[in-house]
Amino acid sequence: MGRRVADVTSLTAGVVIGALGVLLLLDNLEAIDMKFAHLAPAVTATAGAILLARGLSRSRER
Amino acid sequence: MIAGVCSGIAERLGIDPIIVRLAFLGATMLSGAGLLAYALAAVFLPSAQGDRLWTRFSGGRGSLEIAVGAGLLALSGVLLLRATGWWFSDAIVWPAVAAAVGGALIWHQFTAAPGDGTAATAPLDQEAQAEGAKPSFLRGRALSKIGLGIALVLGAALMFLWANGALSAAGDAVLAATVVVVALGLIFAPLWWRLGRNLATERGERIRSQERAELGAHLHDSVLQTLALVQQRAGNPREVAALARRQERELRAWLQDRPSARTGDSLAAALGAVAADVEDAHGGAVEVVTVGDCALDPAADAVLGAAREAILNAAKFAGAAGPIDVFAEVTPASIEVFVRDRGPGFDPNVIPVDRHGVRESIIGRMERHGGSASLRAGAGGGTEVELSVGRTAG
Repeated sequence: MGRRVADVTSLTAGVVIGALGVLLLLDNLEAIDMKFAHLAPAVTATAGAILLARGLSRSRER
Repeated sequence: MIAGVCSGIAERLGIDPIIVRLAFLGATMLSGAGLLAYALAAVFLPSAQGDRLWTRFSGGRGSLEIAVGAGLLALSGVLLLRATGWWFSDAIVWPAVAAAVGGALIWHQFTAAPGDGTAATAPLDQEAQAEGAKPSFLRGRALSKIGLGIALVLGAALMFLWANGALSAAGDAVLAATVVVVALGLIFAPLWWRLGRNLATERGERIRSQERAELGAHLHDSVLQTLALVQQRAGNPREVAALARRQERELRAWLQDRPSARTGDSLAAALGAVAADVEDAHGGAVEVVTVGDCALDPAADAVLGAAREAILNAAKFAGAAGPIDVFAEVTPASIEVFVRDRGPGFDPNVIPVDRHGVRESIIGRMERHGGSASLRAGAGGGTEVELSVGRTAG
Protein backbone atom coordinates (compact mmCIF):
# COMPACT_ATOMS: atom_id res chain seq x y z
CA MET A 1 0.00 0.00 0.00
CA GLY A 2 1.51 3.34 -1.10
CA ARG A 3 2.39 5.99 1.44
CA ARG A 4 0.09 9.03 1.33
CA VAL A 5 1.85 12.28 0.57
CA ALA A 6 0.41 15.43 2.12
CA ASP A 7 -0.49 18.35 -0.14
CA VAL A 8 1.88 20.99 1.25
CA THR A 9 -0.16 23.92 -0.09
CA SER A 10 -3.43 22.74 1.47
CA LEU A 11 -1.68 21.83 4.73
CA THR A 12 0.02 25.23 5.00
CA ALA A 13 -3.16 27.07 4.02
CA GLY A 14 -5.14 25.14 6.66
CA VAL A 15 -2.64 25.84 9.42
CA VAL A 16 -2.13 29.56 8.74
CA ILE A 17 -5.82 30.32 8.11
CA GLY A 18 -6.68 28.37 11.26
CA ALA A 19 -4.15 30.45 13.21
CA LEU A 20 -5.62 33.65 11.76
CA GLY A 21 -9.10 32.45 12.72
CA VAL A 22 -7.96 31.81 16.29
CA LEU A 23 -6.56 35.37 16.50
CA LEU A 24 -9.82 36.87 15.19
CA LEU A 25 -11.85 34.71 17.61
CA LEU A 26 -9.75 35.82 20.56
CA ASP A 27 -10.20 39.44 19.45
CA ASN A 28 -13.96 38.92 19.17
CA LEU A 29 -14.03 37.43 22.67
CA GLU A 30 -12.03 40.46 23.80
CA ALA A 31 -9.28 38.19 25.07
CA ILE A 32 -6.82 40.21 23.02
CA ASP A 33 -7.00 43.69 21.49
CA MET A 34 -6.44 43.29 17.75
CA LYS A 35 -5.89 46.59 15.95
CA PHE A 36 -5.56 47.10 12.21
CA ALA A 37 -1.80 47.57 12.67
CA HIS A 38 -1.64 44.02 14.03
CA LEU A 39 -4.20 42.51 11.66
CA ALA A 40 -2.49 43.77 8.50
CA PRO A 41 0.80 41.87 9.03
CA ALA A 42 -1.13 38.73 10.06
CA VAL A 43 -3.22 38.76 6.87
CA THR A 44 -0.16 39.56 4.73
CA ALA A 45 1.85 36.76 6.36
CA THR A 46 -1.05 34.32 5.79
CA ALA A 47 -1.21 35.10 2.10
CA GLY A 48 2.59 35.04 1.83
CA ALA A 49 2.93 31.66 3.54
CA ILE A 50 0.28 30.07 1.28
CA LEU A 51 1.86 31.47 -1.87
CA LEU A 52 5.35 30.43 -0.77
CA ALA A 53 4.22 26.89 0.01
CA ARG A 54 2.44 26.64 -3.34
CA GLY A 55 5.47 27.98 -5.21
CA LEU A 56 7.90 25.64 -3.44
CA SER A 57 5.73 22.59 -4.05
CA ARG A 58 5.28 23.51 -7.73
CA SER A 59 9.02 24.07 -8.18
CA ARG A 60 9.68 20.51 -6.99
CA GLU A 61 7.18 19.01 -9.43
CA ARG A 62 8.77 17.35 -12.46
CA MET B 1 7.44 19.05 4.10
CA ILE B 2 7.68 22.76 3.36
CA ALA B 3 11.15 23.29 1.94
CA GLY B 4 12.60 19.84 2.76
CA VAL B 5 15.06 21.21 5.36
CA CYS B 6 14.28 18.69 8.13
CA SER B 7 14.32 15.66 5.83
CA GLY B 8 17.57 16.88 4.25
CA ILE B 9 19.28 17.31 7.62
CA ALA B 10 17.93 13.95 8.82
CA GLU B 11 19.22 12.21 5.69
CA ARG B 12 22.62 13.83 6.15
CA LEU B 13 22.82 12.82 9.83
CA GLY B 14 21.26 9.40 9.28
CA ILE B 15 18.42 9.92 11.76
CA ASP B 16 14.62 9.94 11.58
CA PRO B 17 13.20 13.19 10.10
CA ILE B 18 10.61 13.27 12.92
CA ILE B 19 13.43 13.95 15.44
CA VAL B 20 14.69 16.94 13.44
CA ARG B 21 11.12 18.26 12.96
CA LEU B 22 10.45 18.01 16.70
CA ALA B 23 13.73 19.82 17.42
CA PHE B 24 12.77 22.67 15.06
CA LEU B 25 9.24 22.79 16.54
CA GLY B 26 10.62 22.92 20.08
CA ALA B 27 13.07 25.70 19.21
CA THR B 28 10.23 27.64 17.54
CA MET B 29 7.91 27.33 20.55
CA LEU B 30 10.63 28.28 23.02
CA SER B 31 12.01 31.43 21.47
CA GLY B 32 11.04 31.52 17.81
CA ALA B 33 14.63 30.72 16.88
CA GLY B 34 13.56 27.49 15.17
CA LEU B 35 11.53 29.41 12.58
CA LEU B 36 14.46 31.70 11.84
CA ALA B 37 16.87 28.75 11.64
CA TYR B 38 14.47 26.93 9.27
CA ALA B 39 14.19 29.97 7.00
CA LEU B 40 17.97 30.47 6.91
CA ALA B 41 18.57 26.76 6.24
CA ALA B 42 15.97 26.77 3.45
CA VAL B 43 17.74 29.68 1.80
CA PHE B 44 21.38 28.72 2.28
CA LEU B 45 21.55 24.90 2.38
CA PRO B 46 21.79 23.22 -1.02
CA SER B 47 19.04 20.83 -2.10
CA ALA B 48 19.59 17.21 -3.12
CA GLN B 49 19.97 18.45 -6.71
CA GLY B 50 22.71 20.86 -5.63
CA ASP B 51 20.73 24.06 -6.21
CA ARG B 52 19.80 26.64 -3.59
CA LEU B 53 16.48 28.29 -2.85
CA TRP B 54 17.29 31.57 -4.55
CA THR B 55 17.92 29.74 -7.84
CA ARG B 56 14.19 28.88 -7.84
CA PHE B 57 13.44 32.59 -8.19
CA SER B 58 15.11 32.70 -11.59
CA GLY B 59 12.26 31.44 -13.71
CA GLY B 60 10.63 28.05 -13.99
CA ARG B 61 7.67 26.50 -12.23
CA GLY B 62 6.41 28.28 -9.13
CA SER B 63 8.99 31.08 -9.26
CA LEU B 64 6.33 33.82 -9.32
CA GLU B 65 4.50 32.38 -6.29
CA ILE B 66 7.79 32.00 -4.39
CA ALA B 67 8.81 35.58 -5.14
CA VAL B 68 5.41 37.07 -4.24
CA GLY B 69 5.05 34.85 -1.15
CA ALA B 70 8.52 35.73 0.14
CA GLY B 71 7.80 39.40 -0.58
CA LEU B 72 4.50 39.28 1.36
CA LEU B 73 6.20 37.55 4.31
CA ALA B 74 8.91 40.22 4.33
CA LEU B 75 6.22 42.92 4.15
CA SER B 76 4.37 41.37 7.07
CA GLY B 77 7.63 41.46 9.05
CA VAL B 78 8.06 45.15 8.23
CA LEU B 79 4.43 45.90 9.21
CA LEU B 80 4.87 43.96 12.45
CA LEU B 81 8.02 45.93 13.32
CA ARG B 82 6.10 49.15 12.63
CA ALA B 83 3.18 48.05 14.82
CA THR B 84 5.49 47.12 17.71
CA GLY B 85 7.46 50.37 17.60
CA TRP B 86 10.73 48.95 16.22
CA TRP B 87 10.74 51.53 13.47
CA PHE B 88 13.09 54.09 12.00
CA SER B 89 10.83 56.33 9.99
CA ASP B 90 8.15 56.08 7.29
CA ALA B 91 10.28 58.45 5.21
CA ILE B 92 13.10 55.90 5.10
CA VAL B 93 11.54 52.44 5.26
CA TRP B 94 8.79 52.68 2.60
CA PRO B 95 11.05 54.21 -0.09
CA ALA B 96 13.62 51.53 0.78
CA VAL B 97 10.97 48.79 0.39
CA ALA B 98 9.80 50.18 -2.98
CA ALA B 99 13.40 50.55 -4.18
CA ALA B 100 14.21 46.98 -3.09
CA VAL B 101 11.21 45.57 -5.00
CA GLY B 102 12.05 47.62 -8.11
CA GLY B 103 15.72 46.68 -7.90
CA ALA B 104 14.83 42.99 -7.52
CA LEU B 105 12.62 43.15 -10.63
CA ILE B 106 15.36 44.76 -12.72
CA TRP B 107 18.05 42.44 -11.30
CA HIS B 108 15.90 39.38 -12.03
CA GLN B 109 15.44 40.36 -15.68
CA PHE B 110 19.16 40.71 -16.26
CA THR B 111 20.40 37.72 -14.26
CA ALA B 112 17.73 35.06 -14.73
CA ALA B 113 18.90 31.76 -16.25
CA PRO B 114 18.94 31.78 -20.03
CA GLY B 115 16.19 29.78 -21.62
CA ASP B 116 13.48 30.46 -19.05
CA GLY B 117 11.77 32.77 -21.49
CA THR B 118 11.85 35.79 -19.19
CA ALA B 119 15.54 36.52 -18.90
CA ALA B 120 17.10 39.51 -20.57
CA THR B 121 20.17 37.42 -21.28
CA ALA B 122 18.23 34.56 -22.84
CA PRO B 123 19.69 33.65 -26.21
CA LEU B 124 17.79 34.52 -29.32
CA ASP B 125 15.96 31.65 -30.90
CA GLN B 126 17.16 30.55 -34.32
CA GLU B 127 14.45 32.33 -36.24
CA ALA B 128 15.10 35.57 -34.42
CA GLN B 129 18.84 35.13 -34.93
CA ALA B 130 18.35 34.58 -38.61
CA GLU B 131 16.39 37.81 -38.80
CA GLY B 132 18.92 39.69 -36.72
CA ALA B 133 16.00 40.48 -34.45
CA LYS B 134 16.15 42.52 -31.26
CA PRO B 135 17.25 40.81 -28.03
CA SER B 136 14.63 39.41 -25.63
CA PHE B 137 14.95 42.19 -23.03
CA LEU B 138 13.50 44.57 -25.61
CA ARG B 139 10.39 42.42 -25.99
CA GLY B 140 6.97 42.31 -24.30
CA ARG B 141 6.98 40.84 -20.81
CA ALA B 142 10.64 41.43 -19.97
CA LEU B 143 10.40 45.06 -21.08
CA SER B 144 7.26 45.67 -18.99
CA LYS B 145 8.92 44.12 -15.90
CA ILE B 146 12.05 46.23 -16.34
CA GLY B 147 9.82 49.29 -16.84
CA LEU B 148 7.88 48.50 -13.66
CA GLY B 149 11.17 48.03 -11.76
CA ILE B 150 12.53 51.37 -13.00
CA ALA B 151 9.24 53.10 -12.10
CA LEU B 152 9.38 51.65 -8.58
CA VAL B 153 12.99 52.74 -8.03
CA LEU B 154 12.28 56.26 -9.38
CA GLY B 155 9.07 56.43 -7.34
CA ALA B 156 11.01 55.39 -4.23
CA ALA B 157 13.58 58.12 -4.86
CA LEU B 158 10.83 60.75 -5.35
CA MET B 159 9.02 59.51 -2.22
CA PHE B 160 12.22 59.77 -0.18
CA LEU B 161 12.95 63.30 -1.44
CA TRP B 162 9.35 64.44 -0.88
CA ALA B 163 9.19 62.94 2.64
CA ASN B 164 12.45 64.67 3.57
CA GLY B 165 11.51 68.04 2.04
CA ALA B 166 14.22 67.97 -0.61
CA LEU B 167 11.99 67.51 -3.64
CA SER B 168 12.07 71.10 -4.92
CA ALA B 169 15.86 71.35 -4.73
CA ALA B 170 16.22 67.96 -6.39
CA GLY B 171 13.67 69.06 -9.01
CA ASP B 172 15.98 71.84 -10.20
CA ALA B 173 18.88 69.41 -10.52
CA VAL B 174 16.68 66.86 -12.33
CA LEU B 175 15.44 69.55 -14.74
CA ALA B 176 19.02 70.59 -15.57
CA ALA B 177 20.08 66.97 -16.04
CA THR B 178 17.02 66.30 -18.24
CA VAL B 179 17.86 69.23 -20.50
CA VAL B 180 21.45 67.97 -20.90
CA VAL B 181 20.30 64.39 -21.57
CA VAL B 182 17.73 65.54 -24.17
CA ALA B 183 20.35 67.68 -25.92
CA LEU B 184 22.86 64.82 -25.95
CA GLY B 185 20.12 62.46 -27.15
CA LEU B 186 19.27 64.73 -30.09
CA ILE B 187 22.95 64.84 -31.06
CA PHE B 188 23.85 61.17 -30.63
CA ALA B 189 20.54 59.35 -31.22
CA PRO B 190 21.07 58.91 -35.00
CA LEU B 191 24.58 57.55 -34.34
CA TRP B 192 23.31 55.11 -31.70
CA TRP B 193 20.44 54.00 -33.91
CA ARG B 194 22.80 53.40 -36.84
CA LEU B 195 25.29 51.57 -34.62
CA GLY B 196 22.56 49.32 -33.26
CA ARG B 197 21.27 48.55 -36.76
CA ASN B 198 24.78 47.75 -38.00
CA LEU B 199 25.39 45.44 -35.04
CA ALA B 200 22.12 43.59 -35.68
CA THR B 201 22.94 43.24 -39.38
CA GLU B 202 26.46 42.03 -38.63
CA ARG B 203 25.13 39.52 -36.11
CA GLY B 204 22.61 38.19 -38.62
CA GLU B 205 25.33 37.89 -41.29
CA ARG B 206 27.64 36.05 -38.90
CA ILE B 207 24.90 33.58 -37.95
CA ARG B 208 23.99 32.97 -41.61
CA SER B 209 27.66 32.46 -42.46
CA GLN B 210 28.04 29.89 -39.67
CA GLU B 211 24.91 28.09 -40.81
CA ARG B 212 26.24 27.98 -44.38
CA ALA B 213 29.56 26.57 -43.12
CA GLU B 214 27.73 23.91 -41.07
CA LEU B 215 25.57 23.00 -44.06
CA GLY B 216 28.64 22.81 -46.32
CA ALA B 217 30.53 20.63 -43.83
CA HIS B 218 27.56 18.27 -43.49
CA LEU B 219 27.06 17.97 -47.25
CA HIS B 220 30.77 17.29 -47.66
CA ASP B 221 30.74 14.59 -44.98
CA SER B 222 27.61 12.85 -46.21
CA VAL B 223 26.44 13.46 -49.77
CA LEU B 224 29.81 14.12 -51.41
CA GLN B 225 31.40 11.09 -49.72
CA THR B 226 28.53 8.88 -50.85
CA LEU B 227 28.75 10.21 -54.42
CA ALA B 228 32.49 9.41 -54.43
CA LEU B 229 31.71 5.86 -53.29
CA VAL B 230 28.96 5.56 -55.93
CA GLN B 231 31.51 6.46 -58.61
CA GLN B 232 33.96 3.87 -57.25
CA ARG B 233 31.34 1.13 -57.22
CA ALA B 234 29.43 2.02 -60.37
CA GLY B 235 29.80 -1.57 -61.60
CA ASN B 236 27.77 -2.98 -58.71
CA PRO B 237 24.17 -1.71 -58.96
CA ARG B 238 23.00 -3.40 -55.73
CA GLU B 239 25.75 -1.83 -53.68
CA VAL B 240 25.10 1.57 -55.28
CA ALA B 241 21.39 1.26 -54.47
CA ALA B 242 22.22 0.34 -50.85
CA LEU B 243 24.53 3.36 -50.56
CA ALA B 244 21.82 5.63 -51.98
CA ARG B 245 19.20 4.29 -49.54
CA ARG B 246 21.50 4.74 -46.55
CA GLN B 247 22.36 8.28 -47.62
CA GLU B 248 18.68 9.09 -48.13
CA ARG B 249 17.83 7.86 -44.61
CA GLU B 250 20.69 9.83 -43.09
CA LEU B 251 19.78 13.00 -44.99
CA ARG B 252 16.11 12.76 -44.03
CA ALA B 253 17.06 12.26 -40.35
CA TRP B 254 19.33 15.31 -40.53
CA LEU B 255 16.67 17.45 -42.23
CA GLN B 256 14.14 16.49 -39.54
CA ASP B 257 16.71 17.17 -36.80
CA ARG B 258 16.50 13.74 -35.21
CA PRO B 259 19.32 11.33 -34.35
CA SER B 260 19.82 8.38 -36.64
CA ALA B 261 18.38 5.09 -35.38
CA ARG B 262 21.83 3.50 -35.18
CA THR B 263 23.60 6.13 -33.13
CA GLY B 264 20.81 7.06 -30.70
CA ASP B 265 21.89 9.57 -28.08
CA SER B 266 25.29 8.21 -27.02
CA LEU B 267 28.64 9.53 -28.27
CA ALA B 268 30.36 6.16 -27.70
CA ALA B 269 27.64 4.30 -29.65
CA ALA B 270 27.77 6.91 -32.41
CA LEU B 271 31.58 6.58 -32.71
CA GLY B 272 31.20 2.80 -32.93
CA ALA B 273 28.58 3.19 -35.66
CA VAL B 274 30.80 5.60 -37.59
CA ALA B 275 33.72 3.15 -37.37
CA ALA B 276 31.49 0.32 -38.65
CA ASP B 277 30.23 2.50 -41.52
CA VAL B 278 33.78 3.40 -42.58
CA GLU B 279 34.89 -0.22 -42.38
CA ASP B 280 31.92 -1.24 -44.56
CA ALA B 281 32.54 1.49 -47.10
CA HIS B 282 36.32 1.48 -47.37
CA GLY B 283 37.54 -1.81 -45.88
CA GLY B 284 40.36 -1.95 -43.37
CA ALA B 285 39.96 -1.95 -39.60
CA VAL B 286 38.96 0.85 -37.25
CA GLU B 287 39.57 0.15 -33.57
CA VAL B 288 37.58 2.34 -31.20
CA VAL B 289 38.31 2.73 -27.48
CA THR B 290 36.09 5.05 -25.43
CA VAL B 291 36.49 6.12 -21.82
CA GLY B 292 33.31 7.69 -20.47
CA ASP B 293 30.25 8.65 -22.50
CA CYS B 294 27.81 11.50 -22.93
CA ALA B 295 24.65 12.45 -24.78
CA LEU B 296 24.91 13.81 -28.31
CA ASP B 297 24.58 17.48 -27.46
CA PRO B 298 25.81 20.07 -30.01
CA ALA B 299 29.42 19.89 -28.75
CA ALA B 300 29.50 16.09 -28.86
CA ASP B 301 27.82 16.15 -32.26
CA ALA B 302 30.55 18.46 -33.58
CA VAL B 303 33.28 16.15 -32.24
CA LEU B 304 31.49 13.19 -33.81
CA GLY B 305 31.27 14.92 -37.22
CA ALA B 306 34.94 15.92 -37.12
CA ALA B 307 36.02 12.45 -35.92
CA ARG B 308 34.01 10.86 -38.72
CA GLU B 309 35.82 12.99 -41.28
CA ALA B 310 39.22 12.19 -39.71
CA ILE B 311 38.47 8.44 -39.71
CA LEU B 312 37.26 8.64 -43.33
CA ASN B 313 40.46 10.44 -44.41
CA ALA B 314 42.57 7.89 -42.57
CA ALA B 315 40.66 5.00 -44.21
CA LYS B 316 40.94 6.53 -47.68
CA PHE B 317 44.60 7.52 -47.58
CA ALA B 318 46.15 5.18 -45.01
CA GLY B 319 43.68 2.33 -44.56
CA ALA B 320 45.95 -0.19 -46.26
CA ALA B 321 48.86 0.60 -43.91
CA GLY B 322 47.24 -0.91 -40.84
CA PRO B 323 44.34 -0.45 -38.43
CA ILE B 324 43.11 3.03 -37.57
CA ASP B 325 43.07 3.75 -33.81
CA VAL B 326 40.33 5.93 -32.36
CA PHE B 327 40.55 6.87 -28.69
CA ALA B 328 37.81 8.99 -27.10
CA GLU B 329 37.75 10.30 -23.53
CA VAL B 330 34.71 12.04 -22.07
CA THR B 331 35.09 13.87 -18.76
CA PRO B 332 32.67 16.27 -17.05
CA ALA B 333 34.81 19.14 -18.37
CA SER B 334 35.70 18.11 -21.90
CA ILE B 335 35.52 15.65 -24.78
CA GLU B 336 38.75 14.56 -26.47
CA VAL B 337 39.09 12.26 -29.47
CA PHE B 338 42.33 11.06 -31.07
CA VAL B 339 42.36 9.43 -34.52
CA ARG B 340 45.68 7.86 -35.53
CA ASP B 341 46.63 6.06 -38.72
CA ARG B 342 49.82 4.32 -39.86
CA GLY B 343 50.03 5.86 -43.33
CA PRO B 344 52.76 8.00 -44.87
CA GLY B 345 51.49 11.21 -43.24
CA PHE B 346 50.89 14.56 -44.97
CA ASP B 347 51.42 18.28 -44.54
CA PRO B 348 48.11 20.06 -43.75
CA ASN B 349 49.57 23.35 -45.06
CA VAL B 350 49.65 22.07 -48.64
CA ILE B 351 45.95 21.16 -48.83
CA PRO B 352 44.28 22.95 -51.78
CA VAL B 353 41.85 25.74 -50.81
CA ASP B 354 38.90 24.04 -52.50
CA ARG B 355 39.29 20.87 -50.37
CA HIS B 356 36.94 21.19 -47.42
CA GLY B 357 37.63 17.90 -45.62
CA VAL B 358 40.28 18.95 -43.12
CA ARG B 359 39.82 22.72 -43.26
CA GLU B 360 36.03 22.93 -42.80
CA SER B 361 34.74 19.52 -41.69
CA ILE B 362 37.40 19.10 -39.01
CA ILE B 363 39.16 22.35 -38.02
CA GLY B 364 36.34 24.79 -38.94
CA ARG B 365 33.65 22.63 -37.36
CA MET B 366 35.54 22.32 -34.06
CA GLU B 367 36.30 26.05 -33.91
CA ARG B 368 32.64 26.96 -34.59
CA HIS B 369 31.71 24.96 -31.48
CA GLY B 370 34.41 26.49 -29.29
CA GLY B 371 36.82 23.58 -29.58
CA SER B 372 40.06 22.90 -31.39
CA ALA B 373 41.56 20.40 -33.81
CA SER B 374 45.21 19.73 -34.49
CA LEU B 375 47.04 17.43 -36.90
CA ARG B 376 50.53 16.11 -36.30
CA ALA B 377 52.84 13.27 -37.19
CA GLY B 378 52.15 10.16 -35.13
CA ALA B 379 54.76 8.68 -32.80
CA GLY B 380 55.36 5.63 -35.02
CA GLY B 381 54.69 7.35 -38.35
CA GLY B 382 51.31 8.20 -39.86
CA THR B 383 49.08 11.07 -38.81
CA GLU B 384 47.34 11.84 -35.54
CA VAL B 385 44.28 14.10 -35.38
CA GLU B 386 43.42 15.50 -31.95
CA LEU B 387 39.93 16.92 -31.35
CA SER B 388 39.01 18.69 -28.15
CA VAL B 389 35.96 20.63 -26.97
CA GLY B 390 34.78 21.82 -23.54
CA ARG B 391 31.45 20.74 -22.09
CA THR B 392 29.02 23.19 -20.53
CA ALA B 393 27.39 20.62 -18.25
CA GLY B 394 28.46 17.32 -16.87
